[in-house]
Amino acid sequence: MPEQDSTSQSRLGFELGAGHISFDVDESVYPLEAVYGACYLFLDQCFVYLSRPRSGVVTVRLTARGSAAPAELDALAGEFANELLSQATRLRLSQATMRIREYYTAAALRAAASAPSVDDLLAELESEELLEDPLEIMVPWEEKHGAAEGESEPKKDPK
Amino acid sequence: MAERITFDRSLYLPEAVDAAAAAYAEHAHIEITPTADAVVAVLSDVGEHDAQTVAHAFCNHVLHETIALRRQALLQEVQ
Repeated sequence: MPEQDSTSQSRLGFELGAGHISFDVDESVYPLEAVYGACYLFLDQCFVYLSRPRSGVVTVRLTARGSAAPAELDALAGEFANELLSQATRLRLSQATMRIREYYTAAALRAAASAPSVDDLLAELESEELLEDPLEIMVPWEEKHGAAEGESEPKKDPK
Repeated sequence: MAERITFDRSLYLPEAVDAAAAAYAEHAHIEITPTADAVVAVLSDVGEHDAQTVAHAFCNHVLHETIALRRQALLQEVQ
């Protein structure tokens, strides 16, 4: 990108220039996908430019859209670094849980595919013989057990 | 004054540079030169706009296009 002017180190240790701040990102710690994820979130806040000074290292350069004090640029880079860490963590978690997520998705799809339709359930209901009563639920108590004991034998007088 | 911007191929997709150049054609004259490791864009004739601001905005556009194209490619791989 454009001109390289003199730089100094910011409070958080970033390279501070006139209206911009830059820092190196080690790709063995922060994958390129994480760098892209963080950049994507900062595109509307500032101008972002990436360069590769050497293999395995990405230099991120953030330029304020308007005038910005060194402390504001430092804060911007600090937020970017935090987001970078968040993106890297999300990426690692996503990769670590990929197989189990695929398994659950496949299981859910299989279950959905084998679930009976409403027509199947209605047909099943119609085919059942509802008049069968193996537990004799519809049989009155008197028929099952004869007359109740209290009604057949008169109560004895306690006196 | 012309602004010369180098987009490293390992970070930016050449198609993204082309797409951004097409999008900025109304705002600047953009000459693109592909090399082995990079794509170099030279911006000139930015009219009344500030050349550096146009260059910065152009860089953002290229980065946005690169991220979008990479995500599309990843989705197509999954499908």
